[in-house]
Amino acid sequence: MKKLVKLEINGENFDVAITPTAYLIDVIRETVGLCGTKKGCGIGDCGACTVLIDGKPTLSCITLAVACTGKAITTIEGLSKGTELHPVQRAFIDKGAVQCGFCTPGMVLSSKALLDENPHPTQDEIKSALAGNLCRCTGYAKIIEAVEYAGQLLSGEVVHEQA
Amino acid sequence: MHCEPFEYEKPVSLREFESLYAARADDARILAGGTDLMVLIKEKLLAPRLLIDISDLHELRGISWDPRQGLTIMAGTKIAEIERSTLVKEHAPALAYAAANLGSNQVRWMATMAGNICHASPAAETPPVLLAHDCELIIGRQGGERTLPISRFFLSYRKTALESGEYVKAFRLPPLPARAAVAYRFKGLRRAMEIDMLNIGAYLELCEDGQTVSDVRLAMGSVGPTTYRAAVTEKKLKGMPIGEDFFAAACGGVVQEATPIDDVRASAEYRNRVIGVLTRRALEECLEIIGARRSAA
Ligand SMILES: Cc1cc2nc3c(=O)[nH]c(=O)nc-3n(C[C@H](O)[C@H](O)[C@H](O)COP(=O)(O)OP(=O)(O)OC[C@H]3O[C@@H](n4cnc5c(N)ncnc54)[C@H](O)[C@@H]3O)c2cc1C
Ligand code: FES
Ligand code: FES
Repeated sequence: MKKLVKLEINGENFDVAITPTAYLIDVIRETVGLCGTKKGCGIGDCGACTVLIDGKPTLSCITLAVACTGKAITTIEGLSKGTELHPVQRAFIDKGAVQCGFCTPGMVLSSKALLDENPHPTQDEIKSALAGNLCRCTGYAKIIEAVEYAGQLLSGEVVHEQA
Repeated sequence: MHCEPFEYEKPVSLREFESLYAARADDARILAGGTDLMVLIKEKLLAPRLLIDISDLHELRGISWDPRQGLTIMAGTKIAEIERSTLVKEHAPALAYAAANLGSNQVRWMATMAGNICHASPAAETPPVLLAHDCELIIGRQGGERTLPISRFFLSYRKTALESGEYVKAFRLPPLPARAAVAYRFKGLRRAMEIDMLNIGAYLELCEDGQTVSDVRLAMGSVGPTTYRAAVTEKKLKGMPIGEDFFAAACGGVVQEATPIDDVRASAEYRNRVIGVLTRRALEECLEIIGARRSAA
């Protein structure tokens, strides 16, 4: 039985007709139509489906959509302001931390959650915060570099040079 | 992905939850973080008719300290909150450490400690530490509650002492005596995001002389169908002076009491060798903590 459920995604309200068994990842991608969030394993292991719920990194593939009413959901589409990228996105591009890009939305959101809590993480803290985001392409070194650089961009220690 | 249909309810108060769960305990499941439950449902290992979501019940959240009662952690508290709590770091640092090593950051922000013990996996992260602390569980149901030492909670593989309609409401870790400490050690295949192939929680308490063992608890995970204490060894160790004989008896004892199996994560033989090593390291860490506290005092 479908029910009308209110979801707040990237500051916008959506009324979606869903069953209680609908997972947040599928509702975001298929009902709402925001396809930035990726689905890898579907059972919590890979982190591709990471979104922020009330600022906390959450696996949308094992989260029921009905459980998310009244909460603020942020997907990768919610980070940039128009065409202006969020500093974490900027840093991933500048440092070459994106290859196929499948892990990137989840990586960027996990990194944003880390930097919101801890603006100057050590490499070990970055590794620990991103341990649940698997990447088959980059070998992680450039991702870690990007997160360090994003921290510097966010704190204004360095300024991004327009290419 | 197709799932057997289930209903979903999110009660807004503890009272509403208790009466709903009392009425539907037979075909309902409590949904906390869902990091075990939703995976089981997706993999079709479980098909409950009703999920009762307790994740927003504020009565079940929070961590508090009382010098007489100790540390109280409400059942719905997130693993990530336990990992970061200054109260937990001060009064149960081994628990903060175990919490920090459960799953991934995402999992820790979703998961609860009640979910961890109720899933009752023998490889779970928090049971060895809770057993080492001799934690008391507060078990709720409609119209009442009871307390149960965690040593009586795990009955067999994925089976707990909860009766129909009962749920875990809170954890209470009694204050540690002056010359006592708890340590946690684990071994996995990788540094993160792995399921432990072995883990151990150790409690060590010394007599006033600072040399003689007054009490020990050794709780082992992944060496049997549940996490359990090496009760025979614990008894033997009481009254022994700290020294090589004590460590040898502890390590030899846990190997005797462990009943590991071969599985995808490790062989029984390997587990038998490593459990002794982890036991020694955990007990040495307890000694270090007690020593450091004494020289600070
Ligand atoms: C990618 C991944 C990695 C993981 N890594 C680890 C790890 O390293 N170590 C580890 O120990 N675990 C790990 N887990 C397992 C899981 O995250 C933990 O067991 C977690 O603590 C479960 O808590 P939860 O709140 O998500 O429980 P849920 O999935 O919501 O519930 C689990 C079970 O407990 C019951 N339950 C929940 N709360 C209560 C309550 N208050 N009273 C009675 N019953 C209740 C539910 O009905 C269900 O049967 C991992 C899981 C995933 C997906
Ligand atoms: S798709 Fe959610 S963790 Fe892999
Ligand atoms: S860039 Fe391809 S998986 Fe990470």
